Amino acid sequence: MNPTPESSDSVLLQVRDLKKYFPVRGGWFRGVQQQLKAVDGISFALHSGRTLGLVGESGCGKSTLGRALLNLHPPTAGDVLLDGLPLAGLSRQALFARRRDMQIIFQDPFASLSPRRTVAQIVREPLDVHRLGTQRERRRRVEELLGVVGLRSNALNRYPHEFSGGQRQRIGIARALALKPRFIVADEPVSALDVSVQSQVLNLIGKLQAELGIAFLFISHDLAVIRHISDEVAVMYLGKFVEHAPAEKIFAAPKHPYTKALLSSIPVPDPANKSPRMVLEGDVPSPMNPPAGCPFHPRCPIATERCRIEVPALRESQTDSEHVVGCYLAT
Amino acid sequence: MSARADTVGAHGDSLWSKAFRKFRHDRVGMWSLAVVLAYAIVALGVVLGVWATDWAEVSGPKWSPASVEYWFGTNIIGQDIFARSLYSTRTAFEVGLLVALGATALGALLGAIAGFFSGTWIDELIIWVMGVLDSVPFILLVAAIAYTLQGSPWAMHIAMISTFWIGTARLIRGEVIKLKSLEYVEAAQAIGVNRLMIIFRHILPNTFHILLVQATLSFVAAIKSEVILSFLGLGVKDGMSWGLMISESTFEVLAGFFNNFLAASVLMFGLVMAFNMFSDALQDALDPRTVK
Repeated sequence: MNPTPESSDSVLLQVRDLKKYFPVRGGWFRGVQQQLKAVDGISFALHSGRTLGLVGESGCGKSTLGRALLNLHPPTAGDVLLDGLPLAGLSRQALFARRRDMQIIFQDPFASLSPRRTVAQIVREPLDVHRLGTQRERRRRVEELLGVVGLRSNALNRYPHEFSGGQRQRIGIARALALKPRFIVADEPVSALDVSVQSQVLNLIGKLQAELGIAFLFISHDLAVIRHISDEVAVMYLGKFVEHAPAEKIFAAPKHPYTKALLSSIPVPDPANKSPRMVLEGDVPSPMNPPAGCPFHPRCPIATERCRIEVPALRESQTDSEHVVGCYLAT
Repeated sequence: MSARADTVGAHGDSLWSKAFRKFRHDRVGMWSLAVVLAYAIVALGVVLGVWATDWAEVSGPKWSPASVEYWFGTNIIGQDIFARSLYSTRTAFEVGLLVALGATALGALLGAIAGFFSGTWIDELIIWVMGVLDSVPFILLVAAIAYTLQGSPWAMHIAMISTFWIGTARLIRGEVIKLKSLEYVEAAQAIGVNRLMIIFRHILPNTFHILLVQATLSFVAAIKSEVILSFLGLGVKDGMSWGLMISESTFEVLAGFFNNFLAASVLMFGLVMAFNMFSDALQDALDPRTVK
């Protein structure tokens, strides 16, 4: 079931049937009227040092999944195991200790740094909170971290507004690295940046991963970025994975009709290439009121009667056990 | 941007030194600060007993006009209006500072807690308390508190603090609800910063501009309320204030003698005006996002 190739090191992150529902309150007594199923039964495993690229349209639950993994939004159901140990149901202290192993990098470099704290205070805070090292060691570690992300130490006493978007994103990365995490959720870390700066930040992430062996969940809606950075790719639609495979396989031979439509939207810089574009009709249905059967069937060009009634489970494709797809009609 | 940042922040300035430099270039701000400081020096002199020690003495004739001896003239029983005005400045600062500090601190604390725990019973309790206090007419509340405290001189201060914090708390609550969903708060949660630290280190400092404005508004409102309350006999008990001076002057104004009334009104107007302008300038200077 797991599309990770033969890897000697063990599974770092194991996710089993993870669900995150948000209650929607309304009516006279503000009772729970409905559940918004942002993440609806997701399972996967991630090995250390590898990157899982997560793609999907806005509102499909990508960011919620990332935050549920880190317990920033406590999951409604399911298990997240880091090193085989579950994160659910931990006491506050126990969860605090586990936070050293998992961190997050955010999308908006202007919202992710407190405007009234200096760079030194921001990067140092994880060390202070977890009481790592002496004052002197912490100071040295902060300088070292800034060096790692390519900022000069004269940045230390300056404030976030004095930096460009790319520099701010590096500060955020330095903060995430301070605790030497083994797993990082990168929530659209380059979407808000200029294209020229994007590649710098992507290369930095790639370099850190190679040197430090950090596992990444890399969330993006930019397929080119995902292709560049991911070892494996999961495609998410309405809170569910619809396809999950090694990156080269998913880009070479997508199996789910949704993935095919996404990939056909990548522009090809070749005027002779006239491959037909698959244009999806309509919008993503509301996660509050998802369609019966396969969540994709209202927009699917090949949907059959069965797709309208039954929900397809993720299964190995007929040709490749590493390639997992949630569609009855895929081969 | 980065070239600019290299020059601006090269010396590792703190936000405060930058704000200070910005403020110094604000001419209106500097002038209004000078006026406020002049009032503050007057008030300090009274506290230290340098001047206006004879504010209660009956030293001259009734209703003497302004003269070299009595700069602002004398009142209906022959007390020096100038000395009384100076002494009242001290009262104004005492009331303004105490109420501004108390109301802003209380409003910040309860507003931040309500906002951070919005949607829970804690939030609802705080909102309920605000609603109840808000629904009691101000004067009635002061009278009730004054009665309960057996005419304590602090009744007025307590009454003002217990109502003035509400406006601040509402603003801070809204701002905190906005700020707590920002990514830097999530980052702090991901690091494992506890909730109290998140409120006090990451959220409240970013509401500082609101607190500053609210503090200055409370300061000014307290001075003005003091005048009304003292006029009604619910305010300053022992001592002298601009409100008491205006209260005294009602008979004098009817008789065509305006010195007492004018001295108190003009001095109050000057302080309130200068303080408002000072707070505007300070606000501009402290906002890290405005770069002139």
